[in-house]
Amino acid sequence: MSSTPLLLLIAVSAVLIGVIVFRPGVTATAGGKMLAFFVLFLLPLVCLGIGTTYHIDNSKRTEFCLSCHEMEPFGKSLLVDDPAHLAAAHYQNHRIPAGEACYTCHTTYAMFGGFRAKMQGLKHVYVHYLGTPPAPEAIRLYDPYNNRECLHCHLGARSFEEGAVHNADPDLLPAVKANKVSCVSSGCHEVVHDVASLKNAKFWKGAL
Amino acid sequence: MKLSANRLERRLQVSGILLILGLLVEATCLLWTRPIAFVVFLCVGGLLLVLGVLLYLFSLVSGNQQER
Repeated sequence: MSSTPLLLLIAVSAVLIGVIVFRPGVTATAGGKMLAFFVLFLLPLVCLGIGTTYHIDNSKRTEFCLSCHEMEPFGKSLLVDDPAHLAAAHYQNHRIPAGEACYTCHTTYAMFGGFRAKMQGLKHVYVHYLGTPPAPEAIRLYDPYNNRECLHCHLGARSFEEGAVHNADPDLLPAVKANKVSCVSSGCHEVVHDVASLKNAKFWKGAL
Repeated sequence: MKLSANRLERRLQVSGILLILGLLVEATCLLWTRPIAFVVFLCVGGLLLVLGVLLYLFSLVSGNQQER
């Protein structure tokens, strides 16, 4: 979403508001009253609404999440040249939208999931500016990763439902679907963001 | 710029100034892609815009009361 149309709307609004500020006498006429209602009530609320939508959309972008230095190693981990690295394999093969990689996997696919993600984001901003951010290697999820987020895309997919490893044990798939066995548990897709060993990693330099 | 002697017009002018400031903050935040921009947009820009709109509405109500 481009910010140019909204910037133009803001500029037009500011100019029209300026007319009221510098020539308040125009509000004495019926036309002036209508102008005042339009520029002092409707236009600012429209700008606020569109601006909020723009910022919420922008906050889903991968570059937005990676703009804080604490997240840089997590961004690098998306480029690790190893298909066993879950996040890197998803990002590089566009199994998730590359432009919204962080949000796609780290939002909660439940009621108010997006709102919850924004509230956690505000907490991150607070810690970044006013708290003591942990080292990247020490950053952990608030809660264990819920399979619901994986199943949002993989449930019903042939590779998931008919995968040889997934069906080797008949109890595995029901347990995964019930979130009793984690997709990222040991022996499964356990390497997600291995930020501690990035120094020795080989990186993919493909098209981004 | 000089504030009007008329109370209603003065309130409209102050409302306009608040709104222009809010819009300036909003425009700045649109060009700034850091997470803090979202916070500044909502807490500073949003507050200024809401205050400007509320003052405008208040000026309408208070203006009507004076006419009675």
